[in-house]
Amino acid sequence: MSLLDYFRSKKTNTASTAKERLQIIVAHERKRRSGPDYLPQLERDILEVIRKYVDIPADQIAVSLEQRSDELSVLELNVTFPDDKR
Amino acid sequence: MAKIIVVTSGKGGVGKTTSSAAIGTGLALAGHKTVIVDFDIGLRNLDLIMGCERRVVYDFVNVINGEANLKQTLIKDKRVDNLFILPASQTRDKDALTKDGVERVLTELAKEFDFILCDSPAGIESGAMMALYFADEAVVVTNPEVSSVRDSDRILGMLSSKSRRAEQGLEGIKEHLLLTRYNPERVQKGEMLSVEDVKEILAIELIGVIPESQAVLNASNSGQPVIMDKDSDAGQAYLDTVQRLLGETVPFRFLTVEKKGFIKRIFGG
Amino acid sequence: MSEHSLELKGSLFPLSVLHCTDVSVSSLEPLLSAKLAQAPGFFYQAPIVLNLQDCQQVPDFVALKQLFVALKLVLVGVTGASPTIKAAAQDAGLAVLQAGKTASTKANEVPQTAISSQQLAPSTMDSKIVEQTVRSGQQIYAKGADLIIKGAVGAGAEVIADGNIHIYGSLRGKAIAGASGDTSKRIYCFNMQAELISVAGNYWLSDSLQGEFWGKPACIKLQDDTLVISELV
Repeated sequence: MSLLDYFRSKKTNTASTAKERLQIIVAHERKRRSGPDYLPQLERDILEVIRKYVDIPADQIAVSLEQRSDELSVLELNVTFPDDKR
Repeated sequence: MAKIIVVTSGKGGVGKTTSSAAIGTGLALAGHKTVIVDFDIGLRNLDLIMGCERRVVYDFVNVINGEANLKQTLIKDKRVDNLFILPASQTRDKDALTKDGVERVLTELAKEFDFILCDSPAGIESGAMMALYFADEAVVVTNPEVSSVRDSDRILGMLSSKSRRAEQGLEGIKEHLLLTRYNPERVQKGEMLSVEDVKEILAIELIGVIPESQAVLNASNSGQPVIMDKDSDAGQAYLDTVQRLLGETVPFRFLTVEKKGFIKRIFGG
Repeated sequence: MSEHSLELKGSLFPLSVLHCTDVSVSSLEPLLSAKLAQAPGFFYQAPIVLNLQDCQQVPDFVALKQLFVALKLVLVGVTGASPTIKAAAQDAGLAVLQAGKTASTKANEVPQTAISSQQLAPSTMDSKIVEQTVRSGQQIYAKGADLIIKGAVGAGAEVIADGNIHIYGSLRGKAIAGASGDTSKRIYCFNMQAELISVAGNYWLSDSLQGEFWGKPACIKLQDDTLVISELV
């Protein structure tokens, strides 16, 4: 790495932030498009129910449907509870 | 009573969403309760530029259809007080935004907000027409480039004839010109239309000139409106623009070629 | 994108006008046939308007229509007709075309058919005034009147008048004066950069406007069937 490169790389690498954000959101949107129609609404309804008990922001809940085999599909729900409200 | 400002252009890719995000944030930073509404039908952009893409649960069309209320749908910005976002729907139904529905939502928003910024999609189809219909003021975003100028002229025609104010014979929409991606070096060389050229053709008041800047891409990469990058030329130009929008007289900067110092020339300014 | 199955737009078409005082089929037939024989291809299925300014009695429109069909002409309508003749023409399914409030100079021409456009003496007309810039995509039509625009005419805009057109600003779009055929009408503007200008159907595109008058205050008029551009001092 030359001396000039050292000075330049002090600026944060926003392209990698962008790539991370895109990977997350595009994966999320692709899943929604391929899953059953009720999944987005299911996700919202679950969020509303949980919110009745704990105040959770939307990005702390993830619902996904996986077809493991012909007979088995798994509905996975991930909820990250905020630390101080255990 | 809220002021409804539409950010529109006709031409795509000239900086409407970047400008909506920056101006909306600027108004909120100045203490005004502001909501930015994404009027696109099918392609959602504002949430990405504002960095809240992972917090979108409901959208504009959900509210219009009564599937959710505003409180559930509006996304509060994490960095700036007084700033909210109403995300666009990802439906492909071009008739999803009805005049009545939009009017109901805007009326409800007007009760609690000082400014409602409508981020228009490109073109002159239903999303764009809906975004400008209820406006009190318009920021017409234009690049110093032939198709952008002609499309802006077209949009100005729409603003003066197809808005509710025009239909009801009220005082017309106040039109402001926002020139973006301005490059003083190329203007000096005679390669780019100047501010005066564009002003002469479009004949509306200039509210801001935003220089072509690397800060804009960095901002959208990070999900942070460029106005928050206070060291950048674009950020400062947007700050000036917001001040002018609020009625202050601010001299125009970034119009001339800057004499770069030695260090800046090596490391880029 | 919403689709329209029907769109109604204003358009400009040059039409040949037939002046005659005697519209009886017996006198018209030989004269018309002779004329057509001189240039049969030119008038094949041509749309024709009958100028009945000097016609006293109500013509037999049914017979006239048959005559035109036989001669392979298309009788579209009448102009300069008195109210009674107008009514009869409409009953016969013909259009009544407005020529403007001026008199024809061929008032006492002997039953000689002349296939030509109308020569109208200059006249004063009402004015339609527009107090703002005309934007791209907009169209303004001053029917039977002059058009005065206090502002510019943007590229992609159209301003049309049966009378004269005065633009107190730049002309970057299309300006069409004398839209109903009045060749005495003119176009004036502060800055000539038009996409198209036209007087009574004679037109120039922007290519023909390049040169010493481009970008300057100019006046366009029709002189001996040719467009002439001059500088507006």
